[in-house]
Amino acid sequence: MNAVWHAAWAAVRRRKLQTIVIGVVVCAASATLVMALGLLEAASAPFDRAFATQQGAHLSAAFDPAKVSEADLTRAAGKAEATAGPFRQATVDTSEGEVFLGTLTVVGRADPGGPVDRVSVWEGRWATGPGEIVLNRAPGSDGRMELGFRLSLPGRPVLTVVGFARSVTGSADAWVTPDQVTALRPTALQMLYRFGKADTAVEVDAGRAAVTAGLAADALLGTLSHLTVKDKATSELGVFIPFLMIFGVLGLAVAILIVANVVSGAVVAGLRHIGMLKAIGFTPNQVMAVYLVMVSIPAVAGCAVGTVVGNIFAKPVVQDAVEGFGVDQLSFAPWVNVAAAVGMPVLVASAALVPALRARRLPAARAISAGATPHTGRALRIQRRLSGTRLPRSVSLGLGLPFARPGRSALTLASVVLGVMTVTLAAGVTMSMTAYNNAVRPNHTDRVELLAGPPPGAPVFAEPGAERPAAKLSDTEDESMLRSLPGTSAVLAMSQLDTEVAGGTQEATILFYRGDTAALGPRVLTGHWPDGPGQVVVPSRFLNQRGLSVGDTITVQARGNRTQVKIVGVVLTNNADQIFADWATLNVLAPGARASSYQVRMAPGTARDTYTAAVRSGDPGLRVLPPRDGTSSTAVIIISAAVVLTLVLGAVAALGVFNTVVLNARERRRDLGMLKSIGMTPRQVTVLLVTSMGALGVVGGLIGVPLGIAVHQLVVPAMAHAGQADAVDILMDVYRAPALALLALTGVVIAVLGALLPARGAARLSIATVLHNE
Amino acid sequence: MQNADAVVEMTNVRKEYSDSIALDGLSLTIRAGEAVAVMGPSGSGKSTLLNMIAGLDRPTSGSVVVHGSDLGALDETGLALFRRRGIGMIFQFFNLLDDLSALDNVALAAQLTGTSAGQARARALELFGELGISNRKNVYPAQLSGGERQRVAVARALMNRPALLLADEPTGALDSRSGEQVMDLLLDLNQIGQTLLLVTHDGRLATRCATRLIEVADGRIAREHSLERA
Repeated sequence: MNAVWHAAWAAVRRRKLQTIVIGVVVCAASATLVMALGLLEAASAPFDRAFATQQGAHLSAAFDPAKVSEADLTRAAGKAEATAGPFRQATVDTSEGEVFLGTLTVVGRADPGGPVDRVSVWEGRWATGPGEIVLNRAPGSDGRMELGFRLSLPGRPVLTVVGFARSVTGSADAWVTPDQVTALRPTALQMLYRFGKADTAVEVDAGRAAVTAGLAADALLGTLSHLTVKDKATSELGVFIPFLMIFGVLGLAVAILIVANVVSGAVVAGLRHIGMLKAIGFTPNQVMAVYLVMVSIPAVAGCAVGTVVGNIFAKPVVQDAVEGFGVDQLSFAPWVNVAAAVGMPVLVASAALVPALRARRLPAARAISAGATPHTGRALRIQRRLSGTRLPRSVSLGLGLPFARPGRSALTLASVVLGVMTVTLAAGVTMSMTAYNNAVRPNHTDRVELLAGPPPGAPVFAEPGAERPAAKLSDTEDESMLRSLPGTSAVLAMSQLDTEVAGGTQEATILFYRGDTAALGPRVLTGHWPDGPGQVVVPSRFLNQRGLSVGDTITVQARGNRTQVKIVGVVLTNNADQIFADWATLNVLAPGARASSYQVRMAPGTARDTYTAAVRSGDPGLRVLPPRDGTSSTAVIIISAAVVLTLVLGAVAALGVFNTVVLNARERRRDLGMLKSIGMTPRQVTVLLVTSMGALGVVGGLIGVPLGIAVHQLVVPAMAHAGQADAVDILMDVYRAPALALLALTGVVIAVLGALLPARGAARLSIATVLHNE
Repeated sequence: MQNADAVVEMTNVRKEYSDSIALDGLSLTIRAGEAVAVMGPSGSGKSTLLNMIAGLDRPTSGSVVVHGSDLGALDETGLALFRRRGIGMIFQFFNLLDDLSALDNVALAAQLTGTSAGQARARALELFGELGISNRKNVYPAQLSGGERQRVAVARALMNRPALLLADEPTGALDSRSGEQVMDLLLDLNQIGQTLLLVTHDGRLATRCATRLIEVADGRIAREHSLERA
């Protein structure tokens, strides 16, 4: 054994480049494996993990402080396994602020921790004093507000944003200190409960009954079950799961391919050495052991470093992906690191075993001459054909090189294909997410949203200190006025009604549009926009959640009126509970109702301030809403994760090419020396070796792009279905000819980047040393 | 002062390695049409001498001028271009590309200069005819005998009509019959005007092919003789 170790250690020290290449490749592969397994693990039940990490509330309940005291709530809560609260809760309308955040549920809470709903503060800090507010926002969301933003609302204290936090339970939209919430005029008391059993709606209902027993019957204003939150989160953030899983599988495949390529290449390159060991008396088993140990030493070292690096490097990526679920500090399950730390050396040994067994069986003389055996007939035929072409000789020689080692070339090609697939898929997902986000959350700077004031003569409810002038003009006069203003390009009047859909379990909102719906309404994907009373269009999520389809008729009820409407099309929006109709249908359900808001598209070059001033002058009752804060955090996270994963997997694929060129140059050093001796310049040697891989890059691009597109066509629908939407054309038809050409080139880029460094090294070979060292 | 008909002019060439001195102030002139044999024991510096003239290695000091080119002034690319047209090399172990047929191995040298594949093959066929191996043109190196391989290597070396043919132990890996054939070939080449520099251990080769014999020891020229061909 001592002789085996000495021989192996000597080989490791003598073959420094090979040792370094194996170490680096195994390190990169281990890091990729950690990331891949981490992604796969993160992709499994992310909500449950986040919920467990935060000790999410099984039930959030709001109580009427006029009907129940804090002491009563605390006493009744004893029947729950764990509780948080009571917290005083206020409702804040932000429509008059600089940034429109809708209606915020603000809770007074002294700290983010506790036994239930451990809110994770991912930026800034928790509110500790008056005038401070922390917003509930998913990490990575690209909002208009940053830390230090001052939220100024009429009749309310000015609140400075000191932190962003995430509650997986969704217990509030924002938090302030308990003292501060008093100034916001709280209207409810919030209790957060965890129950011993809460896996089903029945168990949650039982828990609710227990904690509300003995309280006034009408004290409970509303509840939110964790099952409802989970349904929503799964539909919105579940889009990550297929995305993460496919990247995890790709990472795993690239890691395995490259390790197999590197290790088998190293064994083949060492056949002569093995033969010599046999010649001096090593038994076949000892020779095999020498070789396995020689390969395992850098592999184990690379694996150890790679596992650590993988944790450091992969966690932020995976963290980004799962942060949307509210996970604060991600830690991979132990099996991820164990699998990488143990699995990779086993993989390396397995990859080395097959060629080592072959070497073990070889007679010493054949092993010694193994590297010099003539190549196969196919390679020779291809070289002969190439030598007759008009291509520069360095290029034609390079093109023929991959055929001399078809197995190695196939493994290298496979890693390039996977690299190109990854880039194609990531680019496609990015384009899909961008297109979808732009379609459903338009954030156009040329749009102005206007809120209609109360009708003339109607009572005006306003907060003390807030001025809320009544409308000066009627609905039709407002629309006419807006259309007549200089700079108006299109106008859409809108009104909405909350409705019950008969037979359904959920309420919905009907949005009635009048005016330039083609320019400003949601995009119609299938069917047509309503062109008469009794027609509606809905988003695909509406259909999917209710099992409906275009052409079906549904009954809607609002303000005591009931009517049947026919679904005539599908529109692209992200809200499952919206129905769109035209004004004729509004007149059936709410005769005489006026528009509650208007949306205007300004002509190019129109100054927003000048335009809004003209609007106010035309009707002081029209309130200009601040621009919407509406970028999808999901899109941002998916796109950034796709970019990082693409870079990592592309780099690992390039490393596979690097290794192949190192091995080829080592095996061919005598040929390269001879070529230089008859006048091949260093640049031509570089071109020869780079071309050999560039050819694989071209083929890899041609194979990888269609495969990447095929995977995109599988993954994106899976992502859409996870979000309870349909894979509409805007998501699917994202690849255009210029993009495809660029994507096909990525194979060449990966190959050239991987080949350049070792090719330049080979070009600097000393001819004298190589040719005289026989 | 440069000799007008000198193909090689080495002046005070010194080559040091980390632990030894390979050439120690060696000066040598080879004129056009000469056949010079360099002999000496292992480690005497004869291969280093050949490498210096072929532009495969650079002297630590001194100058090497071959066919008017000062090799010390050339960068790696310049040296490659010099080797392309200025010299032809024959090695002990032939150094043919296993992937290419005999004909393509020879044509390759011309193709590197930009000659078209058709023209390069025509020139290679011409050389195959002159060297008597036309019937082996489509055979791969592994299927050739040692003598045939060396003839192919000679054809490759002559492909671009070099001013100087360098041969490093050209018969060292051949049986005696093949060695004889290669010797005859080199003799014929010199007799039609090809300048030749042989590095060899084989005294028979030297006396048969060379017109001048240089004995090298410890990196210096120990002795120099004019030879009458046998």
